[in-house]
Amino acid sequence: MNVKQRADALGTFRFIEVYLMETAAYWTPITPEMEVKVMFGRHIWDFAQHADWLGKRTFELRQPEHYTRRPDDAYVRLLEQMKQAETVSERLTLLYDVVVPGLVRRYGRYLETTDRLLDGPSVLVIERIIPELRRQMGEAQNLRKELAVKTADTSDFRRAETAIDSVVGA
Amino acid sequence: MIELDRSLFADPPARDDRFEIKQVWSEMHNMWDDEGKMLVEFMHRQMNEEVNGLEIAARNLTDFPDAPWELRLAIARQCWDESRHVNAFRRCFETRGGRVGEYPILNFEFRMITAIPTLIGRLAVQNRSFEAAGIQAIREALEHADRYDPDVAALLDAQLADEIQHVRYGNRWVEELIARDPRNAIDVVRGVSQANRAFPMIAGDAAIHLNLDDQIKREVGLIDPIPAQT
Repeated sequence: MNVKQRADALGTFRFIEVYLMETAAYWTPITPEMEVKVMFGRHIWDFAQHADWLGKRTFELRQPEHYTRRPDDAYVRLLEQMKQAETVSERLTLLYDVVVPGLVRRYGRYLETTDRLLDGPSVLVIERIIPELRRQMGEAQNLRKELAVKTADTSDFRRAETAIDSVVGA
Repeated sequence: MIELDRSLFADPPARDDRFEIKQVWSEMHNMWDDEGKMLVEFMHRQMNEEVNGLEIAARNLTDFPDAPWELRLAIARQCWDESRHVNAFRRCFETRGGRVGEYPILNFEFRMITAIPTLIGRLAVQNRSFEAAGIQAIREALEHADRYDPDVAALLDAQLADEIQHVRYGNRWVEELIARDPRNAIDVVRGVSQANRAFPMIAGDAAIHLNLDDQIKREVGLIDPIPAQT
């Protein structure tokens, strides 16, 4: 990856983090369970910070500060589909069992691909983000147990997410 | 059930079936003398107010996607702060034997603020007025709690610091947005005017006016802001 390709990848990740922040925020008033609202509140701040760190890094990669790049159309359609989930079970399953783990996988692939020396500051940002996303997955899992929220059947969605090799749009 | 004026109050937020929802203050379980449960009821009510604060901030993120990023970041942080406050109040009343849903709740704050169509109007009412009055109330309650309830005092002390930050960023951005476009001042006036019509419908005769003391005014940047240290 060259500098522009790195900026494009991070700008795409920024789009996704902002979208996840907005999705959790959209769900907060319309989700009945108070404990789920509270968890979303924490995760809204996580996603916002990730977007902020990525946006500052894109400036160092010679793009505007908070450079944001729309992902591949198929991935955006999945994000839009997730946002329209109607039950708490679907919301928690789609976000924390499919999209967030998928994002962890995609960040991991970036770390495998980039030059860890030349792109050290991006590596630092992503290595701060990944444990936070994993923490979110754990919190969602614990909350589902506590509230006895069942896991929704999202196998089609999961297949579609896995089938998207790269989220970075052309 | 009392119906609120739909031109002044938006749709209510969702609540699970543990909660009994009331529309106006007079329908609430208002205790004037200590029946042994007054503090528990107060904490329960405060918990739900914090949920409203979280929901308002969250809605501000979704309703105004083109707001400046630095402002959105401050709003996102407020979401987490309010979330922590929800759990902190819950912890306080549960240690005193209270339970979630034990008392009725009001969601007028969310309904009133999200009926205001502009972000600057919401910041002027929610952050600059409601939260500012709230911090003065917390400050006064803190003096009482400090003597009798150390856990409540610790909660209020931490909450006060967080809420000052919310008023501070609200002030900063109201001023900044007006500086960018002076026509935004009209939306501030409209928002405040709308809230001034709506609030008496909820509070009735129970409304009280709280003035900020100079220390708080200074901390939130209304007068002689405290300079940063180098």
